[in-house]
Order: sequence, then C-alpha cells, then structure tokens
Amino acid sequence: MGAEGNGPLSSRHEAVALEVRDLRKAFGGVQAVAGCSFTVPRGQICGLIGPNGSGKTTTFNLLTGVVEPDSGAVIYGGEDIAGLKPFQIFARGITRTFQITRVFREMTVLENMLSVTGLAMPGRRARERAEELLALVNLTHLRAEYGGRLSYGQQKLLEFARALMTDPDLILLDEPAAGVNRTLLQHLLEHIHRLHEAGKTIVIVEHDMHVIMNHCQRIFVLDYGVKIAEGPPAAIQGDERVIDAYFGRRRTRVPR
Amino acid sequence: MGRTEHLRNVALVVAAAVILAVIPGSLTLYLRSFVLFTMMYVVLALSWNIISGFTGYTSFGHVAFYGIGAYACAILVTDYRWPWLATLLVAAAVAAVVAVVIGYPVLRLKGPYFAIAMLGTAEGTRVIATVWDGLTHGGLGISLPSAETSMPTYYAMLALMLVTIVVAYVVGHSRFGIRLNAIREDEVAAGALGIDATRYKLAAFVLSAVFPAVAGGIQAYKVLYIDPPGVFFVQITIAMALMSMLGGKGTVIGPIVGAVLLYAAQEATWVNFPTAHLIAYGLFIVLVARFLPRGLIGFAIDRGWARKGMVH
Repeated sequence: MGAEGNGPLSSRHEAVALEVRDLRKAFGGVQAVAGCSFTVPRGQICGLIGPNGSGKTTTFNLLTGVVEPDSGAVIYGGEDIAGLKPFQIFARGITRTFQITRVFREMTVLENMLSVTGLAMPGRRARERAEELLALVNLTHLRAEYGGRLSYGQQKLLEFARALMTDPDLILLDEPAAGVNRTLLQHLLEHIHRLHEAGKTIVIVEHDMHVIMNHCQRIFVLDYGVKIAEGPPAAIQGDERVIDAYFGRRRTRVPR
Repeated sequence: MGRTEHLRNVALVVAAAVILAVIPGSLTLYLRSFVLFTMMYVVLALSWNIISGFTGYTSFGHVAFYGIGAYACAILVTDYRWPWLATLLVAAAVAAVVAVVIGYPVLRLKGPYFAIAMLGTAEGTRVIATVWDGLTHGGLGISLPSAETSMPTYYAMLALMLVTIVVAYVVGHSRFGIRLNAIREDEVAAGALGIDATRYKLAAFVLSAVFPAVAGGIQAYKVLYIDPPGVFFVQITIAMALMSMLGGKGTVIGPIVGAVLLYAAQEATWVNFPTAHLIAYGLFIVLVARFLPRGLIGFAIDRGWARKGMVH
C-alpha cells in the first residue's frame, strides 16, 4: 500500500471511495487487465481513459462483478468486494451503466426504472422517484414507451437515470457521451456535476476528451491492462507516456 | 396501473367465476368436461407463462410437473386410500421440491439449452414413472377407485384456475414481476441493478410448477385412469407454449385467451376432422409464428388498442 496509509484509518475511509489493488484478468491468452492498481478519491469525478483494448471496460466489469477477477483486490467500504456477485456489489452502493446500452427493450421506460432492487420505499414513493429522474433526463413523455423504441441517446439517458434510482454512492459510467447529442450531453454533464455536489463519487470511461478534460478532476490512464499515468487533466495532457500510448512512440522528438 | 383498472379486472374475474360456478348443472356431461379441460389449459398456459413468458426461460418440459401431480394423486388415492382433495396438496409440494432440485442446475442454462434440458427432464420423469413398478405400477398405469360424478373435479378445477389467475395477476403487476421481466430482457443488466437472478428464477420456476401439478391431480381423478405416455405427453407442453404465444406471452390475459381459443379450436377440429386435425394444428403454429409473433396482445398493442407494459 502507498504513502497515503499514514493517517488514522477512519480518515482514510473518508478520503478513499474505492481502492483497486493489483487486479488481474486474462481471457484465454489475452491479459485484459494485468496488475492494475489505482485509488479513487471520495467525492470526485474521475476519468478512466486509454486506447481501445486497454482494459477500461474489463476493469469496470471486474469492479461490478460482471466478470470475476483472476486475482487482486477491490476495497470498498473497508471490505474486499472482488469476486462478489453483481447484485451483492450493487447492494453495497455501486451502480454502473454499460458501454453498449442495456435497457430492457420490451419493458416500458417506467418499468425499466422500477426494476431496480433495494428501494427501501413503498411502491408509490418509488414511482415518484422514477418520475423525478425521468423528468431530469427529459424522458417523461416516453414513460409508457418500450425501452427498445428509444433512440440510442435516449437509451443512454434512461440507463443513467435507472442507475440513480437507489441513490448510489459510487457511480461508474461507461462511455456516457457516446451517441448522445450535444444538447442531451450538456444535460447529462450538468446532472453529473449535481451528483458530484451531492458528494457522490463518479468514475467515467470516455473517449470524448472534451468531456474527460473539462469535467474530471482526476484521470487514470490505462494501457495494456495497467495504469500508466494518473493525475489532474492538465498533467495528463502533456504526459509523454500517455501520448505514446495513444499515438505510438516517436523515433525523434518533433517540435509541436 | 390505476385503481379503477384493477377493480375492473377483479370484477371481470368475479363475473367469470360466478358464471362458471352456476352453469355446470345445466350442461351436458360432454360440455362440462369441455369447460373443465378449457379451465385446465388456462391453468397450464398461465403457469408456463410465469417462467417462460415473464422470465424468458422457455420450458419444453413443463408436462413433467403435470405428470408428477397426476401420479401423486393417483398413487395416494389408490394405494394409500387418501381423500382425493388432500392428495392435491401433496402433488403441489412434490412438484415444488422437484422444481427446486431440477431448477437449481437447469436454470443456469439459457435459451435453447434450457429448453432442451427441460425436454430431457420431462422424458426422464416419464421413464421413471414407467420403470418404477413398485411406486407407479409401471407401464400398465393406475386405475383409480372412485365414484366420481364429474362435479367435484369441475369445482376443484374452477378454484384452481381462479387461484392461478390471481397469482399470475399479482406477480405480473408487482415489482417481483418487473424483475422477472428484467431477467428475461437482459440478465447481466438485471444483476447490475441488484437482482439476484438465481433466486428470482427459482421462485418463478417453483410457482410455474405448482399449479400444473394440482391440475394433473384433478385430471387424474377426472379421467380415473393414468399411464406414463398419457400424463407425460409432450404435446401437453407444446399446448402450454402455443396457447401462451397465441394470446401473448408475458401478459396475464394473453395465455387465458390463447388457452380458450386454442382448446376450443383443437376440440372442434378433432371432432370434425379426426385425421386432419394434426395438420390443422401444425398449420396453425406456422401461421401464429409468422403473423403473430407476439401473440394477439402484441398485435393489439402494435395497433394502439392495448397499452404497453404491465405497470402503468
């Protein structure tokens, strides 16, 4: 463990939302995640970036139990949640969205919202909450429509709203901006900031650098399944290793 | 769904129950049997629909539970002199236990693999019933001692149908039902929303097994003779599936409508064209699959005559 282990345990828990330690996962001969470690500070918007195939989505899948890790630990709330089932991890306050949307296609928008478990509230209250969230993502008028009939961007928004039903503490968003038009995206980002203000921790996987650089406070860069860089956006933008990972290593230094 | 809509549906079921409770005295024996078997198929289709329509696990072996129920009733009445109605509780309990034991491994399979595993399960139960002479009387079947007047079985089937409709309706309009739908649509996403799919699927499977078992028990007492090929008949499973699909699986009204229409059609073609009725049946399957892939309810929804979804 790193240098941040100095303070008393309680304050460390305050400061850290999630700690990933030496996480590994291979699919056949492909080492998708190869000893990845990083620490997500509580209450921040973090970005997880890297070239295609660098292990971002697999990392999300490992954190949420969709895929079981070969080894390593995921510390959340003082407990190692690596290897737990998705529904157990969800019950501990972590929700996610998917890179390719997974709305329930032959269920109405409202039913999509109400399918979430762990709502410690009566049916009427759950319905009100669903309506509030649908209003936030401008889907109220489509509440009785099948999820599969929505546009791709609307499906992304529905998935986002659905993930917020239980008021989770840690929200993992896998490419929330992909396929969402500018107006809707602006709306989505505003909402992400509102969650941030409410003290939530958010991790975003995203290829849209505009979103990452302008909205994240801390960025983790993955390449070949390991973290190669970490820092605030400004530092990441100029980081040699990051540029190498995205564009390949330069033979000679080219002036900008 | 609004309160008035629920009240209207309750009123419809009560009205149907009253009519069905009053008529048998004035029906011929044939017609009384016809209504009884129609009600039985409503039970079977609605039960199949809980695991296969709501939850998306298409079972091609549900007749196993029907057969188990029939045998539980016949053995207890014949060999142990049990009162008939009490055997129905045992039929339900045995089916529930078998559903847990079989469901736990088999519900890990998806799509066609689950369907085939269930087909195998039904064949397995049929073979066990055939070879386990000491318990089941083997291939000779069991003749039940009885002074059946056809009235008790009629009312038992009516009661069972009402219970099944109420359970299917409550499940269909509850959060439990929505989560079964979520498992049907996308099990990975369901897990990510906190749904323990294994537990939910098993609960749905047990529910879908219990009512066919009781129906099997009532049927055994109605016809007074059962044998393995008769009560583990694959066509009964096919009928459950077809009826649900014709009406619209994943809904409550769909399997009811499908069962009534298809059983009536089957009876009419059987009576009028004894040799051609299987051809008509096959043709019907093709036409439903081609033109009504989501059943009559799906057809109505697409035209805006019915609302989408179960919860409004």
